[in-house]
Amino acid sequence: MKVQQLVPRAEEVVLEEILAGLRDISGGTLSPLAPEILEFCANFSRALFKDAEAKRFPELQALAFWMRKSELERLRQEFDRLNTKSTLPVPRGLVFHVPPANVDTIFMYSWIMSVLVGNRNILRISPRAAQQTTIICRVFNDCLEAAGEIMRRNTVMIRYGHEQEITAAISAVADVRVIWGGDASVNNIRAVRIPPHCKELAFPDRYSLSVVRTSNYLALDETKRKDVAAQFYNDTYWFDQMACSSPRLLVWCGSKEESSKASAIFLRDLHEEVQRRGYALDASGSMNKFTFLSRAILDQPVVSAQQVDNQLTVAQLENIRHLDRDHCGGGFLFQYYAEGIEVLAQCVARKDQTLTYFGFEPSEMAALAQLLNGRGIDRIVPMGKALTFNRYWDGYDLLAEMIRHVYVE
Amino acid sequence: MKFDDLLKLPQYSLPYAEKEQILLDGLNELDEHHRRNCPEYNRLVSVLWPDYRKARTLAELPYLAVGLFKSHRLCSIPKEKIFKTLTSSGTTGQAVSQIFLDVETAQRQSASLSRIMTHVLGPNRLPMILVESSALLKDRTRFSARAAGVLGMMTFGRDHFYALDEKMDLDEKGLHAFLEKVNGKPFFMFGFTFMIWQYLYQRIADRSVDLSQGILVHGGGWKKLQELAVSNDEFKRRLREKTGLSRIYNFYGLVEQVGSIYVEGDNGYLFAPNYADVIVRDPLTWEPAPMGTPGVLQVLSLLPLSYPGHSVLTEDLGIIHGIDDSAGGRYGKYFSVLGRIPKAELRGCSDVHASQVSG
Repeated sequence: MKVQQLVPRAEEVVLEEILAGLRDISGGTLSPLAPEILEFCANFSRALFKDAEAKRFPELQALAFWMRKSELERLRQEFDRLNTKSTLPVPRGLVFHVPPANVDTIFMYSWIMSVLVGNRNILRISPRAAQQTTIICRVFNDCLEAAGEIMRRNTVMIRYGHEQEITAAISAVADVRVIWGGDASVNNIRAVRIPPHCKELAFPDRYSLSVVRTSNYLALDETKRKDVAAQFYNDTYWFDQMACSSPRLLVWCGSKEESSKASAIFLRDLHEEVQRRGYALDASGSMNKFTFLSRAILDQPVVSAQQVDNQLTVAQLENIRHLDRDHCGGGFLFQYYAEGIEVLAQCVARKDQTLTYFGFEPSEMAALAQLLNGRGIDRIVPMGKALTFNRYWDGYDLLAEMIRHVYVE
Repeated sequence: MKFDDLLKLPQYSLPYAEKEQILLDGLNELDEHHRRNCPEYNRLVSVLWPDYRKARTLAELPYLAVGLFKSHRLCSIPKEKIFKTLTSSGTTGQAVSQIFLDVETAQRQSASLSRIMTHVLGPNRLPMILVESSALLKDRTRFSARAAGVLGMMTFGRDHFYALDEKMDLDEKGLHAFLEKVNGKPFFMFGFTFMIWQYLYQRIADRSVDLSQGILVHGGGWKKLQELAVSNDEFKRRLREKTGLSRIYNFYGLVEQVGSIYVEGDNGYLFAPNYADVIVRDPLTWEPAPMGTPGVLQVLSLLPLSYPGHSVLTEDLGIIHGIDDSAGGRYGKYFSVLGRIPKAELRGCSDVHASQVSG
């Protein structure tokens, strides 16, 4: 079967040969956190920081920042703690990554969690992938040129659509399969068999929300309030609000009067921020939002709606007990005034992933997580960090998921 | 002026200022009627336009997103009064619009269509070529918009001839026989734009048939022809060169507003009939866009009584080119349709978004 390879070199290749190459361990294997791996990642990070084209994309800069040397060193130390007196962490083998088509850097985070602990990797890149992916592959290949044989044979990225036979051929030899990209993708790929010993990590559609303690917000001076708006903007608008961890529901905790006052200030600041950053939604996005808003009004307890302009639409909910988790993206917020955080706890569902917060103490958030006891929400982070990738994602410890523990007595 | 009086007026004869007032009165009445009788419409208006009472200009009227007819049952009459349900012809798996008609609305639609078509075809019914498969109307239980459109148009012609067989092949022999029979007198042709191009224009050899006495009315959208880079001008020029057909009129219409179709005038632009109007809105603010600026088309029509479709925000882009000043002497707004809003892909983790605009 011929496929289009992007990494280690852009060329047409025979899939069977590629898979045989990835399984061929005669050239040696990498142990977790081997120096070659750390060095390659640090070099890649530096090259991405310096690349003139990559500089234009904040998400590529964020990726470079995340892969910088000091961060990797920190991860290495964290990894050491996975060791116990009688267990030894080892790689799982060949990891097949199926990232989403339209968050342009997820595939790299998926890859790094796997490569760090010494796994070999094959990634499916969607034909719909954006320019950012092309840039990453170019920089990646340049770095591979300078790397040793063992790194050059570690990773293959290929581009293909939804051809089941390719997915099946790769799945048949995988030791771990990682599926990102929504319920439909997870279901489609899951229908393709994996070997009995193969482990699968799936990242289906998720929903995220944000909570603000009204009194703390109102106590801020103007500069700090504008900063809150800027943080919220980053969380929400960066991937057109379609990243799973971008908030879609904003909950104010406080009295109705105070929350309504705070919301008015916040939405004004947020709208200014949206304009200042030059966020632009095209006609299709606008139409989509208007239709979504109309449907929400008919099907959900929406009491009022504000179309500040088409870049920011807010639908005020009367209650959130049965909130429909469908969403249109592009700057659409459901808003709810809650007396206290317990009310929020009532509405949390399995699908909820990230809760960003402002005006609460981490201990209060820990208490909330305790109260929920696994019903939903896998990440609770301060406002502004919704999109910051972390080894703990969707309830998994990705580093730990990518290794086997060998027990030695 | 009542709807019946409007019907009696010649098409495109009302100066815009006068027409605007008539439409405004009529649409304000319709808005009240639907708010009283369609709970969904009433809820949408009360949330989206909380302070709204009555429009002072056409642009102030509330409007519904066209996609709602696919997801919700929007009806202003009791169930037992539903006389006919129209559905849009979506492809398999796509949600389709559902439009509920009572007898009166259906009558208004056909009366309106008749006045518009008479303007194009003249008072007499002409022999008619349908660039359609004879199989289309065999299954009368499924009333697709395409079949409804064809049936609606058939009443404006006589001695109907289906130019395509069941396999969509051109019946050349039948076509020649039809032309022989009309014997140099005018005849009426109707079909969907793309089908005319693909199954008629592309299947006939240069000058092998003489359609110079034909009057062609066609619609259904330009999406497929845009892919082939065939513009309206090109379409007309090529047809004229190959067949002599020179009276070619494109029209624009939605299943959500059957009966008030916008037919091309002599200047190549689309004209709003007496009972209808268009507004172009800026997709960034939903404010009316200045003349000559592209935006999202909103269509207004006095016809819909049984469902709240009198003011609909479409998913099409258009431009208004002028008012009352067309060279052909028609009054009212004239505009062009630029096609569907191009679908942009929002980024995100998920590959499939259930809530995205479909179709």
